[in-house]
Amino acid sequence: MTDTSLSSAPADRRERQRKAPARISPTRRRLENLVIQIILISAFLMLWEYASGRWVPRLMVSKPSDIWTTILRWLWDGTFATNLWVTVQATVGGFLLGASAGMALGFITGAWKRLGEILQPIVTAFYTLPRLALAPLFLLWFGLGMEFRIMFSATIVFFLVYYNTYFGVREVSSELISAVRIMGANWFQVAIRVIIPSALVWVAAGLKISVPYALVGVVVAEMLASDKGMGYLLSRGASQFSAAQSFAAIFGLLVVALVVDWLITRITNHALRWKSAGLQNQ
Amino acid sequence: MLLDIHDVYFGYQNEVELLQGFDLHVERGEFVALLGPSGCGKSTLMNLAAGLLKPLGGTVDFDGGPLKGLNREVGYMTQGDTLLPWASVAKNITLPLELRNIPKAEREERLDRVIRLVNLADARDKFPSELSGGMKRRALLARSIIYDPQMLLMDEPFGALDAQLREVMHQELLSTVARTGQSVLFITHDISESILLADRILVLGGLPLRVMEEIRPPYGKDRILAKVRTEDSYFQLERHLRDLLRQADAATKAAKS
Ligand SMILES: Nc1ncnc2c1ncn2[C@@H]1O[C@H](COP(=O)(O)OP(=O)(O)OP(=O)(O)O)[C@@H](O)[C@H]1O
Ligand SMILES: [Mg+2]
Repeated sequence: MTDTSLSSAPADRRERQRKAPARISPTRRRLENLVIQIILISAFLMLWEYASGRWVPRLMVSKPSDIWTTILRWLWDGTFATNLWVTVQATVGGFLLGASAGMALGFITGAWKRLGEILQPIVTAFYTLPRLALAPLFLLWFGLGMEFRIMFSATIVFFLVYYNTYFGVREVSSELISAVRIMGANWFQVAIRVIIPSALVWVAAGLKISVPYALVGVVVAEMLASDKGMGYLLSRGASQFSAAQSFAAIFGLLVVALVVDWLITRITNHALRWKSAGLQNQ
Repeated sequence: MLLDIHDVYFGYQNEVELLQGFDLHVERGEFVALLGPSGCGKSTLMNLAAGLLKPLGGTVDFDGGPLKGLNREVGYMTQGDTLLPWASVAKNITLPLELRNIPKAEREERLDRVIRLVNLADARDKFPSELSGGMKRRALLARSIIYDPQMLLMDEPFGALDAQLREVMHQELLSTVARTGQSVLFITHDISESILLADRILVLGGLPLRVMEEIRPPYGKDRILAKVRTEDSYFQLERHLRDLLRQADAATKAAKS
């Protein structure tokens, strides 16, 4: 915690050179947290390994070593690769489709007040509809293939992004808009320079939370009806009474979800660095 | 006459009779200070001049014609913070120039000049969230003067500055507008500030709003502020204005209750 390289300097000078009160360095703290997390997870896995077959039936919960063998086998024979690829493709498709539609409609209804008053209640009515109720119709329209997964996941993403964009645009300070208009901006410039950047915080939040939902949408669609994808693996495992297969599929999904979340955090943090700029300096 | 607010009627839901046939005019190159109790309607007048509010009756003329929509010929330094939080100080200050499609080289040149004027050169790449209150005010000031508008509307521009910096800014503002011939409509709560800067001081008060008295400090355009501060007339004016302001405050309070 204290800086030992300065220990030879006179005490008062050392005091002056220290710019901020000393605290644990963030890297060190992160490292410690990581170690604790690893210990916790290992303990849980060991407990699971031990309890399976002794306290709880192995058929129900399988055990980490079995799951690991399944994972290795799937990695080896390409089961993971082919099914993950299908799921990831559908997730990206559903996300892009739902997010762009949500952003477009959210922006228009948010910026154009009258249109918002008319359309917003209609969107809300559809939002309250359980999304699963649409599945049979979608199956009818799009069949078992990729389109079904993508559309199903897009409807989930759409609403999340729509609401965040709509409220983000409505929240933009009218004082800011007037100030920029007096400086000479036309409506297009106001949209580009004020409304979009200002709503971006909300839109980014909407995008961020909707990525996992896009994945969930695809997996649910695959569980409902399909012969490929991680959702299919999951339900196949259960129907064959192989908990190990289901857990292996869940593990695969977990890895995908973590990677996607990491990516999206990187991207949104970069876009919103002005938000945290003041905090780092205090 | 550059700005002519003539026989204007205006009110809000809770303050229906704020302006009842109010007149305010500003000549070209004139520096007019508005002095008055809080809540009497100073910012409202400024928003009318900026075209942000529409009079319910009467006319607002600017530069010889009636004002249609927003007034793009003014630089408005609002009472609140209207910097764009996602843009750096430099980007914020040059925004009006970008909106007017002024080439980058000229933008940089003008930025250098005003950013030094307001003493923010070291903060040019910071975001507004990293600035102190006074620094934000200075960035707003720089942004409102960078495009040389015909008129500056300044709503308590120097309230958050320390005394030293305020003196520097006073002198700079005076020499800038003397050089460019810009008009200024200036709201302040600071009596001595109004005497030092203005060609004409309007003491406002009452409800509906009226001009309690009009005062013309006799120091001319090329005044040296340090010298003005030592004049006898300066102290007399200050005392007189303090009395007036007390009356204005009483008039506003009496009308509101
Ligand atoms: N947007 C608004 N809606 C309703 N009433 C308002 C609004 N803006 C101002 N008012 C009312 O109008 C009156 C004048 O307000 P204004 O902002 O012009 O005062 P001011 O002289 O600028 O005060 P201050 O010196 O405190 O800034 C106040 O009584 C205020 O309550
Ligand atoms: Mg005000």
